[in-house]
Amino acid sequence: MDADVDQIPTEAVDAGQQYELDPTFVNSRREAIVIFFSWFVALCWTIPYCYYNGYNIADPADMPTTFGIPSWIVWGVAAPWLAADLFTTWFCFRFMKDDELGVAGDEEHLQQEQEGEV
Amino acid sequence: MLNSIPKLIAQAQSGNAVLITFLIYIIAVFIIAGLSNKLLQNRNFLSEYFLGSRGLGVWAFALTLAATSSSGGSFMGFPSKIYSHGWVLALWIGSYMVVPICVMGLLGKRINQVARTSGAITIPDVLRDRFNNVSFGLISVGLIIFFMTFNLVAQFKAGSEILRTLLGPIDAFNSMVEAVPDWFTSMSTQSSDYMFCLVVFGIAVIVYTTYGGFHAVVWTDVMQGIVMVVGVVIMLPLAIYQASDAIDPGESTKTGMALVTEEMSEMVPPRYLTLVLSAIEPIEEDISIPPGTWVSSDGFPLYGDPERIFRTTKRYVLEKATGFAVVEAIEIVSENDKARSWDAFELQNSDDAGIGNQLANLRVNRVLNTASIEIPEDYPVDVKDLNLSPGTLLPFEGKDGVSRIAMLYSLITPPKDRVAGKPIDVYLFQILYTEGTVLENELAVYENQIQEQPHMADLKVSDLDEGFYAYGAAEDERGAYVTAPGPHRSETSGFLPLSLAVSFFFMWAISGTGQPSNMVRLMAFKDTITLRRSIFTVAIYYTLIYIPLVVIFCCARVILPGMEAEADRIMPQMAVTLTSNIGMGWLAGLLIAAPFAAVMSTVDSFLLMISSALVRDIYQRNMNPEATEAKVKKLSYIFTLIVGLGALLGAMNPPEFLQDIIVYTGSGLAAAFLAPVVFALYWPRANHQGCIAAMLGGFLTHLAMYCVGFLNGDGFTPYRLMGTDPIIVGLLSSFVIGFIATIKTPPPADSIVKKYFYRKVEA
Repeated sequence: MDADVDQIPTEAVDAGQQYELDPTFVNSRREAIVIFFSWFVALCWTIPYCYYNGYNIADPADMPTTFGIPSWIVWGVAAPWLAADLFTTWFCFRFMKDDELGVAGDEEHLQQEQEGEV
Repeated sequence: MLNSIPKLIAQAQSGNAVLITFLIYIIAVFIIAGLSNKLLQNRNFLSEYFLGSRGLGVWAFALTLAATSSSGGSFMGFPSKIYSHGWVLALWIGSYMVVPICVMGLLGKRINQVARTSGAITIPDVLRDRFNNVSFGLISVGLIIFFMTFNLVAQFKAGSEILRTLLGPIDAFNSMVEAVPDWFTSMSTQSSDYMFCLVVFGIAVIVYTTYGGFHAVVWTDVMQGIVMVVGVVIMLPLAIYQASDAIDPGESTKTGMALVTEEMSEMVPPRYLTLVLSAIEPIEEDISIPPGTWVSSDGFPLYGDPERIFRTTKRYVLEKATGFAVVEAIEIVSENDKARSWDAFELQNSDDAGIGNQLANLRVNRVLNTASIEIPEDYPVDVKDLNLSPGTLLPFEGKDGVSRIAMLYSLITPPKDRVAGKPIDVYLFQILYTEGTVLENELAVYENQIQEQPHMADLKVSDLDEGFYAYGAAEDERGAYVTAPGPHRSETSGFLPLSLAVSFFFMWAISGTGQPSNMVRLMAFKDTITLRRSIFTVAIYYTLIYIPLVVIFCCARVILPGMEAEADRIMPQMAVTLTSNIGMGWLAGLLIAAPFAAVMSTVDSFLLMISSALVRDIYQRNMNPEATEAKVKKLSYIFTLIVGLGALLGAMNPPEFLQDIIVYTGSGLAAAFLAPVVFALYWPRANHQGCIAAMLGGFLTHLAMYCVGFLNGDGFTPYRLMGTDPIIVGLLSSFVIGFIATIKTPPPADSIVKKYFYRKVEA
């Protein structure tokens, strides 16, 4: 997709009017790539870890537990889950940008109402 | 008013807590609908009715999305699966760790911006305006109506089933069901309690959704979301404490949850069997046997064992006229489960004044296994003349290679279908191993039988179902409840083989992102601050819900043995048991409201999506763009009402494979919508040709997987390429087809690209 974006100049000229890539689009795309990568990392940790430690167990009676839960669940699912929560917290409060979303036609009168109230 | 509060509490504690909570809940829902309707005044009707005027704040946005995607499955199906398959469900649900950030973050900001830029109110609106193409809008409307209509009927049925499960044990409810007139129940092939619950559930949802619109749906979702998380947080410590308390630790030094896990590691899945029940003492009237009734052989040795205990799976009646009943049941096999099951058996039969007295009169005197008798095509005797009377001996070789002999109990296949070359289904009993003097005696009788009827030697027993789980019951599969892939009754590869584990990791996060019902909510939040805070809120919300649910219902395996007999009732049963054990029965009502709230929040959003597709995408944008607001308003109410009533009527006689339809529509919507929406939002080169191809390609590939499965004779079970779910094949082909079609067709108009991907540089 990046290659195709590059086909359209980042600054386009139209009858004297200059354009630049919408920062909301640019930030959204950057954030989407990071999110997809986080899903992939979660997949790459959880599935192999659980496969090697939770499948084909020879003696389930001696299975190690952590906090009373089978250890393969704790380290394969619960721990990455908490890590994912930490990542989400960082993503939401440090990484993700606040962008302008625009105003829809059906919102204009609401905005006027609010401005009137103020 | 104040004087009536103690009376209300007393009533709640007397066992009707669920009914009272349900009534309070319904009243609250209608109040919310009334308040929401007030918001419809003085605002753009369509934007408010279908999108809440794009003004959702953090709590409303976060909880409506969480509650809608949770659905009834999270609070009925998921606990039932945890109970039936054990700890592996943590892996099954594992990708929910990234679901909030994926579902809300991947598309949220962009779809909200594009919807505002174009003035779109629905998903077809977004696609139509983004590419300035009417056909694309209509195709997407068609697919949404196709998938959602089936799904809505299925969700209505699920709502009715949940309500029936929740209210079933309540006397007042059963009295109301008995008062339902016959003409009403004759409209359906379903039972009268199903019909009663369907109408109550359906009318409640239709009325509040029609009257209140999007805001009513969102606010009820918020209430429902709070009910769900409060329920789970209350149940967690109670479950761990009561489960560890119920276990006899013996020589184990473990305590708490570790003790529960150790106990689970020793559990063996139950057997599914057919029993013949009779009364110990003569009976004066028919005995009603509710589902989940404990029965035993009461000292009468079955296969030499007097200590066998069973639990029935459905409702039966032991008729006075016949004196016996043939019932489906499970047998508790685990030794540690047996001790707790005998306690439950004693408790059930100790109710001298009530039904327990009748149930104590029941005794198991036969354990039956289903099997087939193979009859050769060139069999010399007419099958109808075969003397297959009860007690006929039939030797056979078991799957383990051990020779056995069994007695015929009865024939299942009706006489008209008994022909040579086709197997006859039968019930067998008293299956014996080829050891000991008993067998020698039986074989001597068999020799006599063959001398009298020599052709009987040609009959072969096959497909003997001994009722064991296909995975988890064998000696080398012990500990199935604490390991992967988890026990499964019919799949020899277990509940979650690796290929399915990967599929589910893909499905929850990625296919959840592709659900139009989630996308439309992403168009409704107020600003990006709301989005950021909401992603965080939902992440914490899911953490509080899903991992604790796995812990709670693993504990349920210890607290409530034998619930495989009615696994769908595990959530309400667990709520009642946990709260009753601490003397706070009234609290059960709150906990039980959670699954009902969950299914309601899914149904209302689906209902609104279909009516918005009809009013906005078909009528206003294609048939009458100049329609006045008054007319649009009237039509919105009418269409929401009609769609709701249509689904209600459809659910009165629901089609077969309903659960499969829910799965099909959920994954089918993602296969059709995710790729075109991603292209539309993030790829300036994307054009309508490519996105239509992506949509139809995903839809048809996904459908093809189901068609191949059907042609292979698997019914509604799809073909799984390399063991993966059809959603993966559907999504991959949708992205690939869309990409190729796009680059092979002309680029979009420059004006469209500028509108959605560029902004003017101020001089």
